Amino acid sequence: MANMIMASSKPLSPPSLSSTTPSTSTSTSRPRITLLQVSLPKIPKISKTRLVSLSSSALKSLPLAAAAAASLALAPPSLAEEIEKAALFDFNLTLPIIMAEFLFLMVALDKVYFTPLGNFMDGRDAAIKEKLSGVKDTSEEVKQLEEQAAAVMRAARAEISAALNKMKKETQVEVEQKLAEGRKKVDAELQEALAVLEKQKEETIKSLDSQIAALSQDIVNKVLPL
Amino acid sequence: MNVLLCSINTLKGLYDISGVEVGQHLYWKIGGFQVHAQVLITSWVVIAILLGSSIIAVRNPQTIPTDGQNFFEYVLEFIRDVSRTQIGEEYGPWVPFIGTMFLFIFVSNWSGALLPWKIIQLPHGELAAPTNDINTTVALALLTSVAYFYAGLTKKGLGYFGKYIQPTPILLPINILEDFTKPLSLSFRLFGNILADELVVVVLVSLVPLVVPIPVMFLGLFTSGIQALIFATLAAAYIGESMEGHH
Repeated sequence: MANMIMASSKPLSPPSLSSTTPSTSTSTSRPRITLLQVSLPKIPKISKTRLVSLSSSALKSLPLAAAAAASLALAPPSLAEEIEKAALFDFNLTLPIIMAEFLFLMVALDKVYFTPLGNFMDGRDAAIKEKLSGVKDTSEEVKQLEEQAAAVMRAARAEISAALNKMKKETQVEVEQKLAEGRKKVDAELQEALAVLEKQKEETIKSLDSQIAALSQDIVNKVLPL
Repeated sequence: MNVLLCSINTLKGLYDISGVEVGQHLYWKIGGFQVHAQVLITSWVVIAILLGSSIIAVRNPQTIPTDGQNFFEYVLEFIRDVSRTQIGEEYGPWVPFIGTMFLFIFVSNWSGALLPWKIIQLPHGELAAPTNDINTTVALALLTSVAYFYAGLTKKGLGYFGKYIQPTPILLPINILEDFTKPLSLSFRLFGNILADELVVVVLVSLVPLVVPIPVMFLGLFTSGIQALIFATLAAAYIGESMEGHH
């Protein structure tokens, strides 16, 4: 089997059954050397018709045996063999042509697809990275702005607290002043009242002193009966 | 008689329709050499799809990407990620190689599974994924080999060959053998997976035409994507391996 597959790089001349008329094989057209000849071997059709006619004629003459023989002859394997030996490992000019086609395709795809799209994608990646780093820069700006805002807030707070302190002090002074005034007034009134009281005390003492003599005379008169 | 003939004919018809055509090719001749026309045709379609879609999607890139551009940016990011993890920080110059490898294999595999190639009848053989053909996979694997040799030689000069006796000179034969097994495993893995996948789908379709092949088809899509990723990742790993310094 392997021998059969490996050996044939060319279509074989039909064996056994159709050996009577080998003229249809492609081997006849091989020796001619032309630049590009499209050979259209019509083996299958011709051989099929011939086979059919042959089998029918055989069937007419010898019924049973011939029918068996014909069916055997028409069985798939022999038919395949009759058409052409399978040339699986059939190396020929196709190989270098495919190589050249592949190299051409490689160059063309590189020109059309890989390089342009690759460059485009790389450029886009670079642009996106640049934009991202740009975003990072603005984040620094944001930080600066935030710091500025914090500074402004601190200044405002300091200002407000200063103003508050000032106002507190002012009001305190005022309050103390008023307090002191009030105290002075109260003190003055107190002194006045005290002075009045003192005067009244002295007056009453004086009046009492003048009455003491009379009262003591009264007491002496009452106690000492004369 | 007639019944038997009919049944034979229908059998043959079924066999033709199911079309398990393994290793059959439409041959063109270019300067006396044979080429597999179906592989070339489908590879041209794949290349046209790749170039056309990328031109349309990338022709006017927007800062905020729209649908197509978004998808292509995602793909490029993915390729860059694969390259970076395998090659390291010097992955830049290798992105086109790894990316083209991945995209070409991926689109090829999926085109084999998704595009209705079978509508276009060829006189011989049939249209399928370009990676269905051993020529394609070997070409890609050999290019990978060339790429990692180039990477190592440009990075380290002739000192690159010092890696062959790296842990000990005893491993010299194995190290040399590796240079052959790498492209071999790369190409055969891809080829085998894609071919097997398409064969499984075709055989299942020929057996049960409805519903049953659908999970296998989805599995095929999955495998196709994985194979493309594996091929690209391994190529990048080989390149990175030949570029990395020895301690």
